[in-house]
Amino acid sequence: MSLSRLIDKYPYGKAPLALLVLAVVSVALWFSTQKQREKRPDLIVVTFTAPHQAAYRKALPEFEKQYHVKVDVQLAHWGSLQTRLQNAMLADTDVPDLVEMLEGSLGFFARGPKEDIGLVDLTDRIEGEHLKERMVASRFSLWSARGRVFGMPHDVHPVMLAYRRDLVEALGIDVRELDTWEKFNEVGRRITRDKNGDGVIDQYMIDLPSGGGYGVLIMMLQRGGQLFDEQGRPAFANEITAEVFRQYLEMTLGQQKIAYECGWGQSFFKAMTDGLALFYITPDWRSYTLQTDLPRLSGKVALMPLPAWEKGGRRTSVWGGTGLVITRRTKHQELAWELAKFLYLNPKSLGERFKDTNIIPPFKDAWSLPEFSVPNSYFSGQPVGQLYAELAPQTPPFYSSPVDSIARAKLDEAYTRAIEHFKAHGQDGLMDVIRKELRLAQDDVMRRSERNQVLEQGK
Amino acid sequence: MAQTKLQYKSWVPFAFLGPYLLLTSVFFLYPFINALVLTFYQTNGPKSRVFVGLGNFKYLLSDSTFHQALTNTTLFAIASVCLQLPLSMGLAILLNQGNSRLKGFFRLVLFSPNLVGQIFVGILFSVLFTPRYGLINRTVQGLVNWGLEERWLSNPVLVMPAIILTSLWLWVGFNMVYFLAALQSVDKSLEEAARIDGANAWQVFWHVTLPSMRHVVVFVVIMSIIGSYQLFELPMALLSSTNGYGPDNSGLTVITYLNEVAFRSGDLGLGSAVGWVVALIIFTVSLIQIRLTKVVED
Repeated sequence: MSLSRLIDKYPYGKAPLALLVLAVVSVALWFSTQKQREKRPDLIVVTFTAPHQAAYRKALPEFEKQYHVKVDVQLAHWGSLQTRLQNAMLADTDVPDLVEMLEGSLGFFARGPKEDIGLVDLTDRIEGEHLKERMVASRFSLWSARGRVFGMPHDVHPVMLAYRRDLVEALGIDVRELDTWEKFNEVGRRITRDKNGDGVIDQYMIDLPSGGGYGVLIMMLQRGGQLFDEQGRPAFANEITAEVFRQYLEMTLGQQKIAYECGWGQSFFKAMTDGLALFYITPDWRSYTLQTDLPRLSGKVALMPLPAWEKGGRRTSVWGGTGLVITRRTKHQELAWELAKFLYLNPKSLGERFKDTNIIPPFKDAWSLPEFSVPNSYFSGQPVGQLYAELAPQTPPFYSSPVDSIARAKLDEAYTRAIEHFKAHGQDGLMDVIRKELRLAQDDVMRRSERNQVLEQGK
Repeated sequence: MAQTKLQYKSWVPFAFLGPYLLLTSVFFLYPFINALVLTFYQTNGPKSRVFVGLGNFKYLLSDSTFHQALTNTTLFAIASVCLQLPLSMGLAILLNQGNSRLKGFFRLVLFSPNLVGQIFVGILFSVLFTPRYGLINRTVQGLVNWGLEERWLSNPVLVMPAIILTSLWLWVGFNMVYFLAALQSVDKSLEEAARIDGANAWQVFWHVTLPSMRHVVVFVVIMSIIGSYQLFELPMALLSSTNGYGPDNSGLTVITYLNEVAFRSGDLGLGSAVGWVVALIIFTVSLIQIRLTKVVED
């Protein structure tokens, strides 16, 4: 019987037959691909940065050989990873065994009842192996919630100032004398000027975001302020934050301003190349970005510690952070813990990783590795690793909460109101307005936090 | 035997309808009902929930951030109707009269921003709005000697104008295509008759052309309002450094707010309540619009 006669014999016509054939073929294909799908590796690690993926892939063969297991490192965009991971954990579907997370995100995963937290509590393991003594203890704050530790810190991210050494030296500025923000501002007011007389300032002292944002947060942390206290309660409405707001406003607005917002990406690189600002907030990770994205400035840039708020005070802050968590659904919890230690505490791979990223690991033993004291020609021959590592122990803690993103938004709101007042009335009544706005913002965060009845039940 | 054949045939339509009914039930009906039920709960993602009755709606009534999101979105919707649509209509009229060979070219040029999507346009305009180096800042400075250092995306006063300006570039050409199609279907003999009766160009447009394309105009207005209340990707890309909020929440829209409470904060109940409020607003505005059009017609 020919094919056309067979088709004609189908009682419901050609179109339904075509649909039927399509359905059968689809199901058959699905089954065949299921069979061909590779067996799940023993451990799956997901990270959100390509350099981490590359570094881990380089280090993993040794671990796989030692434990006779297969480990896969996958890359996912952080924005989607966060919500998908949380929903997958809550819906009890398949999740990776280990995940690298971004600072400020633990609160997102630790909200709700304790049984909803899909991450392994690492507190006892960390204490059992004395890791808080062997690592920078303040970095565990990012990965702690309700008094328990759920992640291993990947980095320290101490903040320094990168500066255009060639221009700064030509202006006769001795950076060793810029040891307090007061002195820094004083010099800044002197050198911030319109060089060509066209009415537009074309030389600023420092690059700072005009709307506050990360700039305010970095200075707040340096000065000893926090968004939340250790218990996760909002704790930013105080004199420390108010004073940071006032000083930051003076630096970024009005006749005496010394700062310009150079932005991100191309506009940042253009501004730095043009020397629009002389100093740039630079945590360890950004020092590597400068090297790779602005090679033409090689040898013209150098690093210095942040000026302190008072003489002898803290010369650094923190910006950013990554941590490794183990998901509760993993079938190989012990193996995952061994892998976490292998990736984060193995000196051999940490030295290699520093060379590829300039990122300071919190594991103190690694800082004495030769890679950390190699002079860096981009930063005028300075030993970048050593400079950051010296500041690492001073880095402040940074506590997290389920309402982390709301608190940051509310802090920005309070700062915006302070800007409006400063623009309209200058210093007159400024501190009162700042205190009032900070109080309102904190109360709002508290109100939203207390609204979470699911979390309250979990407590 | 005949009866058996009839019975055999009776389930066949349902078998063909089955996939549709299944998909509709799973992806429309169930979420629809579940979203309604969820509005009475506070949740932590999809797992834990606590019954709060009308608590979510009460919270929305008292939440200043939600009020601001609603105000911003309404402002954007008004701007969409008052700026976008007249511009689209103007361009459509120009193109309708122009050289037929150039017509297709300009139609493509004006429509093309819509092909690249809101995220791309958001990123593109965030570069164009860059202080000192951005094309828009430099152009405005050249034209009116102001704006070189202006921070469109971090000044609360300028954020909404920046979003509106960007959306104009994105949507004017899209709406123009609808208007152009409607203009081309207007009965030319009616316009000709009006001209013979002594009507000038404006009178022909106002009394003949526009009434002839009123159904398309109503459709475009309603779609613009619905689109405005669903605004999300554009401010998200344009104001990415503040998670789509903008300084002092100046760029916050109701859908960005929904995204924040439902997916970033994990309260799907409150998110559902916001969704229902938005649906109600769109439904009411559309109803008013349709009624008004009927009144004008009568």
